[in-house]
Amino acid sequence: MRLGLSGKFTITVLVILLCTMAANTLYFLGTSTRLHEQQLLERGRALGRLVSLISPEAILGFDFLLLNDYTREVSSQPDVAYGAILTPQGVPISYHVDSADPYIKKRARQGASVEITELIKKREGVEDLIRLEYPITHNNVLLGHFLVGISRESLQSQLQRQVVIQAVVMSAIVLFLSAAIYGAFRFNVLFPIRRLISASREVGRGRYTAVEVKTADELGQLAQAFNAMAQEVKEEQAKLHRQANFDSLTGLPNRMMAFDRINLEINRARRSGRRFAVLFIDLDNFKSVNDTLGHAVGDELLVAIGARLQVSMREADTVARLGGDEFLILVPDVGNEVEVEKIAERLLHSVSEPRELNGRKVVIHCSVGIAIYPDNGDSVEILMANADNAMYQAKAAQEGSAIFFTEEMNIRLRERMQMEQDLNVAIELGQLALHFQPIVDTAGPRHRGAEALLRWHRSEKGLVSPADFIPLAEATGQIVGIGDWVLKQACRCWRAWHDAGLNPGFVAINVSRIQFRKRFSRRLAELMTAYRIPAHALEFEITESVLLDDHHQVAEELAALRALGVKLALDDFGTGYSSLSYLKRFRFDVLKIDRSFVAGLPGNPDDVSLVKAILAMAKGLDLRVLAEGVEHHSQLDFLTAQGCDFAQGYLVAKPMNEDSYRGYLKERQAKGDAGSLSFIHRPGGNLRTSRQ
Amino acid sequence: MKILRLLYLIAATAALAPLAHATDDATDDALVLGVFPRRNAAETTRMFTPMAEHLSAQLGRPVRLVTSRDFESFWRGVTARRYDIVHYNQYHYIRSAQSYQVIAHIEESGKSTISGAVYVRKDSGITELAQLRGRMVLFGGGEDAMISYIANVYLMLQAGLKKDDFKSAFALNPPNCVLALHFRQADAAGAGDGVLDLPVVKNSIRTDELTTLAISPPLLQLPIAVKRDMPAKLRASIQSILVNLKSSEAGQKALKEAALTGIGKAEDKDYDPHRKIVRAVMGPGDVARR
Repeated sequence: MRLGLSGKFTITVLVILLCTMAANTLYFLGTSTRLHEQQLLERGRALGRLVSLISPEAILGFDFLLLNDYTREVSSQPDVAYGAILTPQGVPISYHVDSADPYIKKRARQGASVEITELIKKREGVEDLIRLEYPITHNNVLLGHFLVGISRESLQSQLQRQVVIQAVVMSAIVLFLSAAIYGAFRFNVLFPIRRLISASREVGRGRYTAVEVKTADELGQLAQAFNAMAQEVKEEQAKLHRQANFDSLTGLPNRMMAFDRINLEINRARRSGRRFAVLFIDLDNFKSVNDTLGHAVGDELLVAIGARLQVSMREADTVARLGGDEFLILVPDVGNEVEVEKIAERLLHSVSEPRELNGRKVVIHCSVGIAIYPDNGDSVEILMANADNAMYQAKAAQEGSAIFFTEEMNIRLRERMQMEQDLNVAIELGQLALHFQPIVDTAGPRHRGAEALLRWHRSEKGLVSPADFIPLAEATGQIVGIGDWVLKQACRCWRAWHDAGLNPGFVAINVSRIQFRKRFSRRLAELMTAYRIPAHALEFEITESVLLDDHHQVAEELAALRALGVKLALDDFGTGYSSLSYLKRFRFDVLKIDRSFVAGLPGNPDDVSLVKAILAMAKGLDLRVLAEGVEHHSQLDFLTAQGCDFAQGYLVAKPMNEDSYRGYLKERQAKGDAGSLSFIHRPGGNLRTSRQ
Repeated sequence: MKILRLLYLIAATAALAPLAHATDDATDDALVLGVFPRRNAAETTRMFTPMAEHLSAQLGRPVRLVTSRDFESFWRGVTARRYDIVHYNQYHYIRSAQSYQVIAHIEESGKSTISGAVYVRKDSGITELAQLRGRMVLFGGGEDAMISYIANVYLMLQAGLKKDDFKSAFALNPPNCVLALHFRQADAAGAGDGVLDLPVVKNSIRTDELTTLAISPPLLQLPIAVKRDMPAKLRASIQSILVNLKSSEAGQKALKEAALTGIGKAEDKDYDPHRKIVRAVMGPGDVARR
């Protein structure tokens, strides 16, 4: 049984009271006993003195009857067991015993015929007796002795009576005091504590009720402290609730709140049979805003867009920020897709309105994915995933667009997931392979090297385009392992060709931005050492997207590559931001003109102008230029005429596997590398003359 | 006015007349009953008050009980003839016989006579009176105690002892002298022959430890006398009332309260044996005869 506070307190009080009362009783009884014993002694002394004073005359007058009267009278006094007058020789001449004395009565009941003197002696042997003796004298002549025996029997019985009375009185007092103290405790302590317990439970349930403060004592202070604490908890809870459910930057509901709202809406829609829409919004190229204008401006933009989205929507709609540059809008009670489409258009328009940020005019677009309940899912997870999927499709299709989710998207998503799983085991299954596409001098045409191109022979599905799986590998992080494999294979091949007495030139390897973040240079150094690869044998092609990342880290990594002595090429120049500041800030050896610009040469004036400009700029910056996708002589002629340094494309040779490329190198070496560029090398070792 | 004053005087005289008569009754008619202090005054008064009341009732006149705190004052009352009726011992009567005439004697324990007895402890080794020579004899009363002292001394004188041959000591009364003997405060005790049967003695000591060494011839019990000049009719009435106490309930009560079993007629010659003993012990001067 658990003992409550009141029970413990009551027991404690009872014990204390009982101890106190018992001690008090013992003290009282002790004092009372001493007092009574003293009284007995006084009485005995008084009797003794009196009898010894009045007896001489009777003794001298042989008045034994009078002496008998004295002893009889003495023995009849309370608490006197006997009185006796003895001669100086100790012969009793008058004696009386108290027949009511318990000992004497007992002897009498037993029928014991004992001499009275013997009886007195025996009585004196009993512990409770006080024996007093007084001399009887006359003119300083000893006439005898007076003996008086005082019994403590009545004292003891009185003591017993007092113990009983004390016990009864004490019990009554203890009970009364205990009840009174318990009452006071219950009223002054227990009730406030119970109020606090009740209030604490309410706080535990999330209901904040202030406890009434009635007194200024410790309990009152405790109640005040509790109220203050409850208020703090309440505020903290509200703060936590806000932090947990609202985005601290924009003040919009966050992902968790958005999920809750969608859940609520699902329940409501399930009951009402109505539909609602979930719009997943992702800002296009928001990262470049952060990188170019700074994170503060990026945040400012997010706040402005959040506010704008809210303004664009109805009161009943929920606008939430899911994180980063992702927003979500929940639109309840939608009629049909047309209505939702209008809303999406309004959003797109609203977001893409130019705005002034940090003194600069900024235009940003967003991609919107739309999922409708219940058509595109009946749970939060499914709706969110489908809207997200749709958003990615929108972004992939055309930035600044909105797309409704379709089942095809799901199929594509599943395919993407399957591809991701297959890619995980591609290396182990030997499905990846490196192909090499030669690079030559435009003027020479001398062989310079080859670009390593990754190929994936996916079982049952055949060859997969790098354009399909490289973005996926980058998105999933698998590119790190794949890139490492590529680097290692390239090194191994170069070493094998070189050991075979061939002159492979350099191998140009594409490096992903993801690899760049993983201390790529360190791994390269290990492999260069392992395969004894000279620095001139390697060239690394980096896209502008790598340079968009943390400038400091990129600069460090590029410097480390430079320190290894390898060459660096800026890939796909002209397709992205093509910021000239990159060329100024980071030192490259080669610029690669994207095939899309080469394709229109020499007929397309725009491409001509652009290529000319790139070449002029490269010349000015002392950079070598490589043109990709050179397929026709006219293109090569133009590029040669304009001073382009290197060419790569089908006109030179198509990408080939390791063995074919080995054959290509042998063949080139056999014919002499200075030979004219008069053929197209086809994979499989078949050479086809294209230009004599 | 004179008539009124006369009437007032007559009325006042008439009112005070009965009071004056009553006062005369109280002083002139009351008989004084004197009882000697054989016991203490309070006890004596308690014991003889019923007898005085009975006498008063029977005589139709007040009987006032008087006692004394000691024998000396009582004897002064006797010699001063303050008592109309007097109860005392035989020696007292013998000495006051010229003023008082015996009319009755008491009976105690159904006996009209009493003997003097000399007691010793059985373990004392004393078997005859002659062995008391040089020893201390304690008597129950003073030298005027007829039975305890005079009769017992008479016995010792008869045994050939003289008064100086033994040391005499006196206890307050006969019970005390045998108690003292029992407690070895004396070698012998002189008292009446029935003293050992008294409850006050039997309850105090083991009387079987004592023995009677000598006993005198029986002598008539204590006398009750009246003034010799008392009218014969009144004397006869008193004697009749006392002797017939047993015949009435009130009389029996009076006897019982006085610790008596009866009262018998007595005349002066009944105390001649006493006179002989007194004469032998106290000398001829202490004997008076009318």
